[in-house]
Amino acid sequence: MTSRREFLVLLATSTAAIATGKAMQTSSTDVDLSKYKWSMVVQVDKCTECISKMLEKQGIKFEKLPLDKQNELLRNLRPPCVKACDLANNVPRMPDNPRFDCYMIRIIAAKATEDASWRFFPLMCQECEHPACVEVCPTKASYKRPDGIVVIDLHRCIGCRYCMVACPFNARTFTFMDPLEHLEKINPEVPVRKDGVPMKCEFCRWLIDMERSEGVKNPKPVCVQVCPYNALVFGNLKDPNSEVSKIVRTSKVVRLRAGLGTDPKVFYHDL
Amino acid sequence: MVEFKKIDGRSNGYWLVCGIFLALTIWGFYAWYLALVYGHCVMGLSQRVPWGFGTAAICYTIGASAGSLIVSALSGVFGKEEFKFFSRSACVFALGTIVAAMLSIMQDIGNVENVMNVLMHYNPTSVFSWNSFLYSSYFVIGFVYLMAQFGEKRRITKALAVLAVAWAVLVHSGTGGIVGFVYSTDLYHSSLTIPMFIVSAIVSGLGLLIPMWLLTFKWTNRPLDRDLMWYLAKVMGALTILLLYCFAAEALDTAYVPGNSGAIHMALFDFRYPYAWVFWVIQVGGCLLTVLILLTPWGKTDWGMGIAGFIVAIAVYGERYTLITPGLGYPKDLVPGMIFRPFWIVPYYPSWVEYAEIIGLMSMACLVYCIGLKIFQILPERGEVEEA
Repeated sequence: MTSRREFLVLLATSTAAIATGKAMQTSSTDVDLSKYKWSMVVQVDKCTECISKMLEKQGIKFEKLPLDKQNELLRNLRPPCVKACDLANNVPRMPDNPRFDCYMIRIIAAKATEDASWRFFPLMCQECEHPACVEVCPTKASYKRPDGIVVIDLHRCIGCRYCMVACPFNARTFTFMDPLEHLEKINPEVPVRKDGVPMKCEFCRWLIDMERSEGVKNPKPVCVQVCPYNALVFGNLKDPNSEVSKIVRTSKVVRLRAGLGTDPKVFYHDL
Repeated sequence: MVEFKKIDGRSNGYWLVCGIFLALTIWGFYAWYLALVYGHCVMGLSQRVPWGFGTAAICYTIGASAGSLIVSALSGVFGKEEFKFFSRSACVFALGTIVAAMLSIMQDIGNVENVMNVLMHYNPTSVFSWNSFLYSSYFVIGFVYLMAQFGEKRRITKALAVLAVAWAVLVHSGTGGIVGFVYSTDLYHSSLTIPMFIVSAIVSGLGLLIPMWLLTFKWTNRPLDRDLMWYLAKVMGALTILLLYCFAAEALDTAYVPGNSGAIHMALFDFRYPYAWVFWVIQVGGCLLTVLILLTPWGKTDWGMGIAGFIVAIAVYGERYTLITPGLGYPKDLVPGMIFRPFWIVPYYPSWVEYAEIIGLMSMACLVYCIGLKIFQILPERGEVEEA
């Protein structure tokens, strides 16, 4: 028979053991991830070449299209990076229903003046250093990992969409209906979201975490892997020898909506 | 000493009113059921406008509740003893509308099963997170304040009235902050939003309470001092003028930024979209009509005061709509300083489900009030000031 004193000692030591174990586990993961600051450089020249060739093949002159056709075209444009992202991350696409169509990467066309030529580039979550979405999330479901990737914990998310409203880049979409019905194929490595939650690009963290654990030195998200023009450069900003560090250090790069102070980690080269 | 007495609540008229409110409440809950089963696609929302009528309903019901509680506390805080007639009924209505507000949050969120996470995982940087504690504590303070009134505990009631008013202001400031602190949307970020929310809360609270009291006293055959009602109607009119001033100041504040010109033009002058219609017809037009009604001799009649109250209550709902949706409907400046595509304005039209949800919740608050009249002593025997 265990005495009350023994029981209390047992309880206290078990609690201490669990707490210490948990603390050690957390700290080791954090230390591991904090070695990284994942970042991406988008080389707009190369993206523009890729999209221009796609349009040329289809005989489309983008600059000649009226505004609504330009909008529609860009909404449905799926270059290799977008296509691979949709498939790899279980993104439910609904081209016939733009109101509810989900995306992680969109193609944007921009030009400085009316008579300039259009430049094309992908827009995804900018993985801000001071993310507005994390700031406003009422449940801390959106949080920033030590490696800088902003992720959504679907077990915590209440689907209030405050993050979507606060995001300066409209980088998040919401599953207005069950996504299962709109998936061509399911990637078992990535959770299939339910209806009523937001989704966003997370730099394919499932893939880079997996590759990192397998000892791959330079893990890459799928969009970077499939890009036929090597327009997307991904790497660790904390490593001075990584390609992203070198480009950011030596080239003229810009960040979108930099004036807001969210400090995005996606850089645009030659925009 | 004001004598409060329950109503009999046995007449056919009473049951008819309760029946109508109950039917509308059930309709609203059926709409919610559809949203739960089929997802938020049954609403008029979209990826670009993810907040709409539901979010406006949250702001509106919280405002109406805060406004009602402030009116309820008039006698306790400002020593206006003549308004003690209304303190209990206004407090019951405030509690009913805050329950409606919390339910409208439940209706609006996409993942209801995780709702407890709001209380379990506090985020100190999120205004929404602050509000989860403000709303729940507001309900508790309002409830204790009502109990103190039932117990006729004078000093405690006075202390609680002060606390209730302070908390109501805090609660609605927090609600205004949800929108006013968002810096990434051209039409959202404004320091005027919070004080404007407080003014519109009192206006909408009075706008709902005045017709409600007029009908309650009339239908229960209890005398009501028209001078008191007229005093409240005048306060409502004065605050409506202040609200119009706030609309103008906020619109000019936003319009003065050159980068906002496209967004402000769409919100105020582009009648191809619903936003400008709601702004001019419902929001500004409703407020102006209220002031005009109150300025005419007819405005002093029961009908005049009641209709003016009802119109301004709808106008404030229009204000919530134009505060939330046009800022989302207009594209964000993704590539500053450049012309970019896709670039299109998304109009937002609420679906019948969203209308049903808000009508259902407001009906539920009215049903709580009607049942409260029968169960609790919240209505005075005579709504008249006795001559000394």
